[in-house]
Amino acid sequence: MNLLLSTLDLREVVVSAPVAPLPGRSRGIQGVVFYQGEFLPVLAWEDLPGCEGTLGATTAMAVLRPRLGLPVERVIGTITPPPEAWGDVDEKDDAGAWLGGVCRVAGLELRLVDPDRLIALLHRYREDR
Amino acid sequence: MDQSFDDVWAECEDLFAQARQTLASLKEPQPAHLVQASVNALFRTTHTLKGMAGMLGFLSFSRAAHRLEDIFDLIRKGRLDATNALVDTLEAGVLTLESGMEELRRGRPEPEDYLHSLRRELGELEALALPAEGESQDLTAMLDLPQEVIKALSEYERTRVTALLLSGMPIHGAMVCLDFATFDERLRLLSQALGAQGELISTLPWEAPEGREGIAFLLMTACPVLALDGLPLLEAELFGTALLADPTRILAALNSSRSNQSGEAAGPEASVPPPTLPLLESSPSAPSGTPQPPPAQEVEILRLPAHRLEALEAQLMAVGQLRDTASLLLHRTGKAGGDRPLALMAQMEDGLLEVQKALLQMRMVKVESLFSRIEPIVKSLSRDTGKPVKLTFTGGDLELERSLLARLTEPFLHLVRNAVDHGLEPPEERIALGKNESGAMRISASQRGRNLRFDIRDDGRGFNLERIEARGIDLGLLKAGQPHSPERLHRLTLEPGFSTKDRASQLSGRGVGMDVVRSEIEALGGEIHLSSEARRGSLVRMSIPLSRAVVSCLKVRCAGLDFGIPLGSVMRVQAGPELRFGGDQVKVLGMSLPLESLQACLGLPEPQGQQAFVVLGQQGAAARSVAVALGVDEILGRGDLLLRSLPELAHAAGVMGGSAQEEGVLWVLDPEAMLGLAMDSLMRRVARV
Repeated sequence: MNLLLSTLDLREVVVSAPVAPLPGRSRGIQGVVFYQGEFLPVLAWEDLPGCEGTLGATTAMAVLRPRLGLPVERVIGTITPPPEAWGDVDEKDDAGAWLGGVCRVAGLELRLVDPDRLIALLHRYREDR
Repeated sequence: MDQSFDDVWAECEDLFAQARQTLASLKEPQPAHLVQASVNALFRTTHTLKGMAGMLGFLSFSRAAHRLEDIFDLIRKGRLDATNALVDTLEAGVLTLESGMEELRRGRPEPEDYLHSLRRELGELEALALPAEGESQDLTAMLDLPQEVIKALSEYERTRVTALLLSGMPIHGAMVCLDFATFDERLRLLSQALGAQGELISTLPWEAPEGREGIAFLLMTACPVLALDGLPLLEAELFGTALLADPTRILAALNSSRSNQSGEAAGPEASVPPPTLPLLESSPSAPSGTPQPPPAQEVEILRLPAHRLEALEAQLMAVGQLRDTASLLLHRTGKAGGDRPLALMAQMEDGLLEVQKALLQMRMVKVESLFSRIEPIVKSLSRDTGKPVKLTFTGGDLELERSLLARLTEPFLHLVRNAVDHGLEPPEERIALGKNESGAMRISASQRGRNLRFDIRDDGRGFNLERIEARGIDLGLLKAGQPHSPERLHRLTLEPGFSTKDRASQLSGRGVGMDVVRSEIEALGGEIHLSSEARRGSLVRMSIPLSRAVVSCLKVRCAGLDFGIPLGSVMRVQAGPELRFGGDQVKVLGMSLPLESLQACLGLPEPQGQQAFVVLGQQGAAARSVAVALGVDEILGRGDLLLRSLPELAHAAGVMGGSAQEEGVLWVLDPEAMLGLAMDSLMRRVARV
């Protein structure tokens, strides 16, 4: 899955580090890494709807401004998509719960992560536990 | 406030901390030269505070510091005897100024007189001082009048006040407000009438009451009783009378002080002399062989802006991340370079942790610093209200961040004032109720999970829930005719503007309500709960979250993960050849306790038997309270861990935080939550059977 992250939502991208698994973790969070002197929760992609496949080896971690780490297999690059490239997420797409839109550029479908929706979803998982 | 004042505030904080510490040391037995050194240090401290306040333009603060400085000067010159009562008064004065400084820092306006609540005690101290060589005794400081008024008295008036007080005559004041057109004639008539009752010492200009037209005077008269009936007063001319000085109190204290200083037997008036600092009087004759503590050494204090410490911490983190990366690379390359690089890496990890802990310690203070601010206030309140209080503290060894300490002080002081003022009954009422004559107040601190918990308990009358309910209905906060739970009624007292007192008392009603206490605690991310039982007492419980702390833990391993269990909750550690399983009973500490594996508590795969267990108990609880044996795979030892809290998204049941270690993260368990999880797990086992 190709994802798009707004640079406005991004703190930085760091080299992937081993994640300390949480004992009795809640759905959506695989564990924590030590980041800037604090623990940073790391997303468990496989727990998200529309994301059931296993993640390959990760090389980097995108740190979102709301302090959440997203492990990624690789960084493709940066892009400024033209307005006409944007489209809505398919209503039947389970990933709609955490996506903010879809962008089609140069034959690639890039799915925009919406940090607010993603974090709201993770909080719901915590409450449902 | 200008940022350049930050250093000044920080220095003031340090000065107050030193002053409190030195005052507390004055109550301990120590040689006379150390006492003298302490008093000199206090004199210098108050002198510096006076100067700093003046520099910042806080003139009222500066005046108050000057007054304390003068008293320390009298002590160091041997003109005032340093009794415990005197030290208590000075402690209260220093604390009042310290609270005042916090208020100034928050931009609040200065009061007219910081030391107003201590005016009588301070006046007595000043008056009790032996006159300087070539000067005569002056008791005018004992008059309950503002300093500037006393200073304005003439030499003759001073002599008369002193002579009359020494002869046992009370001095009264009558405040009158007279019409501009006729005031000279009216004043003459009133002066004549007062002169007929006793000696009119002085007629002083006074401030007219607000909204009243006219010219006001204070007529200072020495007479046994001020008889208002005999005064030719017109309606509404008189607006107040006061006993300005009570000679019985003065004579007893004066004679006692003199006898202490001269070594003579006290006169009959001095039957209860104030206690004198033990070694102030005994040190000259102390046996030469008695071991003496080493003289106090000057400690150099470096003052740093907090952001520099934060920058250092951030740099340390960056080094830590480099270390992590290097460690990762080393592990990937295996043992190609031998064991040496890995050993060096482990040493680097230990060093980094020590530096991190040392940095954290710089921000931390012991809870006893907070307690040391409360104790003199409670003593002072106890004296003022005539309610003896037995005060006990526990948990002073715990640590909290310095910034929290400053913000917790004022809410704490308000709560203890409330407890003494409203909670504890007067001694005669307590005796009639079959209680001990002295009220008990227990203040405790304990670490509960991620929180530092403070309990303030008293054995007083408890909250008057009927009155709270009635007041709540009056204010429209409750509906009449509906049942209201005790929890709801207790919580109501934390609402803004809620007070069951029609008029705030002089002690606790200082404009800081319980709602302000609540908002301050909530601003720290904490919670406050009140509970009480009629005639049995009250409990105020506050929980404050800690972002970082150093916690002494027992380190254990389970399911390949490392855990720390705070030592305060560990009752026993035991290991043996026998394999034990979740649901077993173990006999330990004279009890039969249920055993549950740590894995089962945390929802991890169950182990195939365990040889070690840790008995967990409730912190600070009685021996018969809840305890459980927690099965673990391995006992690793103990250590002081730098605990960091987990972000909300990563909260895990039973885990209060983590500590970064070379091998990964060590999870620090929340003992109270673990007890609950163990019990739940055991119940599930029973249900399955």
